Amino acid sequence: MKENKDIRWDQLLDLLAEEVAERLRAESRPDAAVDWDRPAVEAAERSQEEEPTPRPAEPVSEPAPPPEMEVGPEAEAEPATPTESTELEGPPAPPFPSHTARLLGRLALGLLALVIVINIPINRHGTTLATAMPDRRALVFRDGLVVKEEDDPEIYVYEDGRFRWISSLRAFEMRGYVWEDVHVVEDGFLEEHTIGPPIHVILKCRESPHIYLLEGEEKRWIVDIEAFEARGYVWEDVEFVSCGYLRELPDGETIPPGQGPPPQP
Amino acid sequence: MGNLSIIETILRDRETFFLEIRQGKGLGRKMRAMLISSVAFFALYGAVMGSSHSLWQALSSAAKLPLLFLTTLVVCAPTLYFFNLNFGSNQSLSQNVALMLTTITVTSVLLLSFSPVVTFFLLTTSQYQFFKLLNVGVFTISGIVGVTFLSRGMMIVSYGGDESARARRRVVWMWIVLYAFVGSQMAWTLRPFVGAPGLPFELFRQLGGNFYANVLASIGEILGFVTVR
Repeated sequence: MKENKDIRWDQLLDLLAEEVAERLRAESRPDAAVDWDRPAVEAAERSQEEEPTPRPAEPVSEPAPPPEMEVGPEAEAEPATPTESTELEGPPAPPFPSHTARLLGRLALGLLALVIVINIPINRHGTTLATAMPDRRALVFRDGLVVKEEDDPEIYVYEDGRFRWISSLRAFEMRGYVWEDVHVVEDGFLEEHTIGPPIHVILKCRESPHIYLLEGEEKRWIVDIEAFEARGYVWEDVEFVSCGYLRELPDGETIPPGQGPPPQP
Repeated sequence: MGNLSIIETILRDRETFFLEIRQGKGLGRKMRAMLISSVAFFALYGAVMGSSHSLWQALSSAAKLPLLFLTTLVVCAPTLYFFNLNFGSNQSLSQNVALMLTTITVTSVLLLSFSPVVTFFLLTTSQYQFFKLLNVGVFTISGIVGVTFLSRGMMIVSYGGDESARARRRVVWMWIVLYAFVGSQMAWTLRPFVGAPGLPFELFRQLGGNFYANVLASIGEILGFVTVR
């Protein structure tokens, strides 16, 4: 009995040594990438085609394996060698402890929970953990970037490589901006960049020939067409409003300055 | 969990897995499981990427990232199939698609495994260009490992066909280059995935420029040479 067992172990060790030697030979060849697959494919196909009995059947009364050889999951999983029935049921049971799927599932669930947590707003401005880091250095200069220095109420928009002052709330709204678009930057930030011409709204009512520039909350009368063109305005900039609305706006300095009290529309 | 168990088979018993594809065993079930797993993992990674901007960006990226990979697969699948046919392969289209799904499944698993690292940097750094390049690096590594699986799988699945091993390998690597180009252009078309700080959320950004120029510009900005405008 003991002799039989010894012979069997010798056979197994021989097979193992041959397989290792074959792998080493295959890897040492220059076209190893191709040839590596040859024994793998052939061996795997053989194992699927042939009877899945690499070892002689053990009698029922066979004693337990020797203590130096652990009966690990490999041995337990051996009956799961692919057969027709297992193929129909699902993938063959792997000859190793199956915990990767569970681990992946837990990792995915944990990540989902984390994504939810870091996207929960933590203050009334909607700041989340994911966006809580100061992002001064993260500014990306693209047309439409709206910025405001911390201690300055004036708002600028980045256009064509320059920052342009938006001179009134109406101009801000007319361009479709909302307060959430405004990126607060450090004081002095704009000094490092080119400043372009300001963005104004030019107002006129149909019943009056006069044209006004809206700046802040005041209307500034543009005295004549020369002053209008000298500032680079075009007729497409003019927005028509009601004369009543224009009359309600307080008067500012005329354009050009010092032209006396402005006429009311 | 059943769909996830196929990943364990791919990662730990790939020869058997590829052999079953070669024999056409359970292709439908395998493809369904890989599709479900990869879509879920890509969506999670996309949500992590988009979280750096806003919740809307997170949701958008979660939807767009699986779309990116699956569309690339659909676009590139006929090329691989017909080129293989041209070199005497007897594989079916389903077998080719199964191999490609294996590629994106492996890529998605690696992305998922990288996601804790990406989340860590998301929470501890604020530089947009760095975060963008970090993601480019993660995608590159995951993609390379994924296509390595494809190369290995193709060798096993097409072993014994009429075509020579050298020709098979050439077809696979040519296809991998094509896959990378199509994938990067698709990513550029579907951008933003991270979302630029200072700009409002946008589902798609206007076309213009290209992926490679943007990566170079980002590297330049990190090194202080240029400012990305």
